[in-house]
Amino acid sequence: MSLFARMIAVLTSVGLLSGGFLATVGLLTKERIALNKQREIEEAIVSVIPGTQSSEKLYEEEDFSVYGGKDESGSLLGYAIHASGIGFQDKITFMLGTNSSVTRINSLVILEQTETPGLGARIVDRVSFLQFWEKRDCTHPLTLRKPPASTIEDLSPTEINTITGATISSEAVLDTANVSLDKIKELMKQGKLSREEGDAN
Amino acid sequence: MPTRSVSQEYIKGLWEENPVFRQLLGMCPVLAVTNAMINGLAMGLATSFVLIFSSLVVSSIKKLIPNQVRIASYIVIIASFVTIADRVLAAYFPPLSKSLGPYVPLIVVNCIILGRQEAFSSKNTVGRSLIDAFGMSSGFIAALLILSSIREILGMGTFFGYQVMGGWFKPWVIMVLPAGAFITLGILLGLFLLVEQKTKARP
Repeated sequence: MSLFARMIAVLTSVGLLSGGFLATVGLLTKERIALNKQREIEEAIVSVIPGTQSSEKLYEEEDFSVYGGKDESGSLLGYAIHASGIGFQDKITFMLGTNSSVTRINSLVILEQTETPGLGARIVDRVSFLQFWEKRDCTHPLTLRKPPASTIEDLSPTEINTITGATISSEAVLDTANVSLDKIKELMKQGKLSREEGDAN
Repeated sequence: MPTRSVSQEYIKGLWEENPVFRQLLGMCPVLAVTNAMINGLAMGLATSFVLIFSSLVVSSIKKLIPNQVRIASYIVIIASFVTIADRVLAAYFPPLSKSLGPYVPLIVVNCIILGRQEAFSSKNTVGRSLIDAFGMSSGFIAALLILSSIREILGMGTFFGYQVMGGWFKPWVIMVLPAGAFITLGILLGLFLLVEQKTKARP
């Protein structure tokens, strides 16, 4: 075999073998990866809408989807907004739970982020940031409290706490939340979220 | 090439040819994911998996690959194992896969792996290549763990996520930032050189 033919033969067979191997691995793991994502979303919905027994996707667009959480009898407990926005480094994805009239926030869970470890990444677990989202009044746009307040009582009902040293990440979450809240209110006005309720009645 | 005993072949990866401290290869993951020990360990294991299997495949088919297309073939083989590692991590260890983020796909261009194929596996037997790959992997994991333990303890006051520093300790935030990686690596490289000089100076 000439050198040229050998080169082509070797590269083609290496490529084909690798491709076949990868296709197999891809098929074997695909289902589980999708399942992990699905499970993560379901767990987040339950944690942001307490008492949820079943949930349903009501609306979807790029970087913004709305899930409805229902109790055993099928009545709507609230909405879970799954949204992404640009943070300090890359997208921050979170799940924000509201009551069924979108006037009050239940809680917030950060699902994905690549913020700076030790600084921006604290949005994931900083108690004075995350837990202080609870029971916020979201009839008006939320604002950022800077410097941060030490107790939730010190915040006004429409304020969110900053994390010292992570203003950009805190702001990014807040901005995305405000945009998403506007979107969901608009959707409610247009009646795009209420059809499930109508069916139940 | 000097002939080494089997144990020397393994040990060279840990010390005299340590991929991180001696060859300064694979600096991207070394600097980027050593902010926490669990990340360092996961990156070390993923890289080892790719290195060991690539060495196995390359050393077994080295005679079939014409010289002109060897690099392309090696990269395809390496990339396949990297993709497998990436998918398996995403399927079975989703939190780790998330915290390692884009650095798993980047193992493809980690110089340690291509370097070992070019410098070792393509010229040695399957057995020796495997020993070499195990040695280099151990050296790489050890280096990542040394670096990440220093950064995690000083930067967050924790060791593998467990609090080890008392309440008096104020974490040095810089240690978990990129600058901390460079500072720690620089000091460690200096220490390694110092130890080497001391041991060579001894008659």
